Amino acid sequence: MKHAHRWGVLALVAVLAAALAVGAAGCAGKGPAKEKPEQPQVAVYISNEDPVVYWDPADACSNEVIVHNEIYETLIRYDPVADKFEPVLATDYSRSPDGLEWTFHLRKGVKFHNTGNEMTSEDVKFSVERAVQRGMGVSYIWDPVEEILTPDPYTVVFKLKYPAALDVVVASSYGAHIVDAKAVREHGEDWLSQGHEAGTGPYMLESWEKGGDYVFTKFPDYWRGWEGKHFDKIVFKTVPDAATARQMMEAGQADIAPNLTPEQIEGLRGKPGVAITEAPSWKTLVGPMNTKKKPLNNKLVRQAISYAVPYEEIVNTALQGHAIQSSGVIPKGLWGHAENLYYTTDLEKAKELLSKAGYPGGGFKLVLTYPSGADDVRRAAELMKASFARIGVDLEIRAMNWEQQWDLAKNPDPQKRQDILLYHWWPAYADPYDNLVNMFHTEEDILFNLAYYSNPRVDELMNKARETAGVDRARAIELYRQVQEIIMDDAPQLCLYDRKSVFALRTSLKGFRPNPAYQDVAFFYNCYREGE
Amino acid sequence: MRAYIVRRLLLGVVVLFGVTLVTFFIARVIPSDPAARWVGGHPTAEQIARARVELGLDKPLHIQYLRYMGDLLRGNWGTSIRTHHPVLADIRAFLPASLELILSGILIAAVLGVPLGILSATRKDALPDHGARLVSIGAVSIPTFWLAMLLQLLFFGYLGLLPLGGRVDTVVRLTYPLQRITGSYLVDSLLTGNWPVFTNALTHMVLPALTMAAYPLGLITRMTRSSLLEVMGEEYIVVPRAYGIPRSVVYYRYALKNALGPTITVLGLTFAYSLAETFLVESVFNWPGLGQYASQSILSADYPAIMGVTLVVACTYVIVNLVVDLILAWLDPRIRLEG
Repeated sequence: MKHAHRWGVLALVAVLAAALAVGAAGCAGKGPAKEKPEQPQVAVYISNEDPVVYWDPADACSNEVIVHNEIYETLIRYDPVADKFEPVLATDYSRSPDGLEWTFHLRKGVKFHNTGNEMTSEDVKFSVERAVQRGMGVSYIWDPVEEILTPDPYTVVFKLKYPAALDVVVASSYGAHIVDAKAVREHGEDWLSQGHEAGTGPYMLESWEKGGDYVFTKFPDYWRGWEGKHFDKIVFKTVPDAATARQMMEAGQADIAPNLTPEQIEGLRGKPGVAITEAPSWKTLVGPMNTKKKPLNNKLVRQAISYAVPYEEIVNTALQGHAIQSSGVIPKGLWGHAENLYYTTDLEKAKELLSKAGYPGGGFKLVLTYPSGADDVRRAAELMKASFARIGVDLEIRAMNWEQQWDLAKNPDPQKRQDILLYHWWPAYADPYDNLVNMFHTEEDILFNLAYYSNPRVDELMNKARETAGVDRARAIELYRQVQEIIMDDAPQLCLYDRKSVFALRTSLKGFRPNPAYQDVAFFYNCYREGE
Repeated sequence: MRAYIVRRLLLGVVVLFGVTLVTFFIARVIPSDPAARWVGGHPTAEQIARARVELGLDKPLHIQYLRYMGDLLRGNWGTSIRTHHPVLADIRAFLPASLELILSGILIAAVLGVPLGILSATRKDALPDHGARLVSIGAVSIPTFWLAMLLQLLFFGYLGLLPLGGRVDTVVRLTYPLQRITGSYLVDSLLTGNWPVFTNALTHMVLPALTMAAYPLGLITRMTRSSLLEVMGEEYIVVPRAYGIPRSVVYYRYALKNALGPTITVLGLTFAYSLAETFLVESVFNWPGLGQYASQSILSADYPAIMGVTLVVACTYVIVNLVVDLILAWLDPRIRLEG
């Protein structure tokens, strides 16, 4: 009896296993189920990392941008190509002649998701003040704001400390989304972070699963209405492996994939049903140099190194043309960008500068680090190594995890850190000040001024530019040009390239228009499917 | 018996304590700044300083460890630096997907491996034995990620029979919402009678489960064969054969039972091994399980998450080892478990 019992259990396990195997074999060929109740129009977006870490739009500052801009809206939206602001939640706005008072008139009849509350000036004031008070994400963009007034439900007045360009702040892709004040007050301060939303955008959260699908469904009361062709649902999928992402695009299992590697993009080119679209982006590859350690503490050596970088080769070979050489320290397409302000590749000039600096024929070694896993950056570094060797400089390249390389670069002792590090930088909002203040303003505790650069004239000029931008954009651009001329001459940082955003799209996806001010955002409301 | 289990569990606790100690200090010695990571992509110096206090990173390392252990004992595994969710909640979300994969793999390995091993032993040095040897050595030696890619290429790329990756098709999932009970799509859809999701999830399971099965399959086949051969030389097998008792009865009734001990030990060990193997398999098949969570945590130096995953794996080793010993005692009454 005892025997039978033991063997019975084993037999049961075996039968179950066999059932699983047979079942799997049986339905292997059939693919997805046959009758579907009603098939919604679904768009699938592939992200290489989790689309959302911070559900609260006041805290977000990374990949969330692709999701939050579908569920939340800002007062106005910036179009950097036309250099124009489009009305969204605000119908129009004006600023006082001294640039210290900005008045926004709100759209009437805009409803929030789930609650049906109407969006009013109260919500705008609440959202901004809450973002500032939480102090997370990019809350610092609101620094110019002194006070927010709400004279009536449809008017918001921002009083500023200095005449900054508030329009770019209000249109920021992070930290400027309007949330439902009543809903947040009712559910508590942490409700949003726990995976809820309270926006006015075209899509609302349906369900999400860590590492799995993030599903959004259309908001029936959206203020623009649902006339014409739109998607019913949008899904964000996390696919860390680029090869898998590429195959999903090929198989038509996804509609849009940004940030594929150059190889995967080339592999997809010409495949039926797949289109490759390029757009300018504000992502730049920068290489801050250790200006506090020999030999890079010498400006002439830094200039020599800048002349020795094989810019064209990097753009054409390492990036396969998906970039342009940087000019100045503000990317092309962002106001304040300076044309014709770059180093050419000139090895003779580099050798001459090295001799002048007291290093005839080079004869020193530099350590460069780059974030591991970034293949294009690795190839750029290898090309630099080959080119530097020709002026007698030995470049040792080391891959490091970003956290570690950043930590090493922040080392308070300049003797202990790497000589050059490579990483991608992009501004958090459409303001050149963000690039300048973070990378070149004198910093006591090093955070992103990874060249330890300090020049009082540069500090003064950039602050002046920021404080004029609100009243006189042209004057501010002039000042930003001056700052960049000084910086490029001092050469604290290698300015390698401005990346292009490359998107793989299904050809059946129409209406997609990338906007560098909202990096990688699809704005699915404008998209629809045709054919396939 | 009870004393034995209690003693083993206590020993397990000591092992786990050692694991936390080693992992914590290794994870924190690696240069990285959890506070900067916590506040995100464009942090300001004040934000980082505030986060450092908030996360208790301003305290000395041993105080941080004591705090961590105190929280752990109260069931708080800390908050992930990367995902900002409680680590325990993250693990609860990712573990079922991995378990589903591992168990399916082991089930396939056991169901195919044991008969293959028997075949190999009973037809020693004949053609079936050579075939089985080829299969098992191949299965053990092929690198997992390569096998995974080959299977994808064949069944998705050329034949178009099976899906590339993921747990279920997006459209199927959206059309037939699945109620979460255990977190395993197969079990949940079976329990709620959601057939479209079940069949779809099953097709998604085939390739990753086969990949997971390869290594244990090879081991189980070889182990079953060698222990069966050993047993078949014993007198208690030779005698009944001499009395003319049918071969099948002798093999399956007497020999196999005595030969299964080592196979079960191996099965237990491969279970724990599989937890580590999922790192690669989940990445290739885009399977949102613990392996993917762990590799992303390691890449972003997310120490509370690394600690959490390590603890889960260590617990699994301790428990599986204990369970294996108990099963062995149950199968073979000669083994005594003494406290």
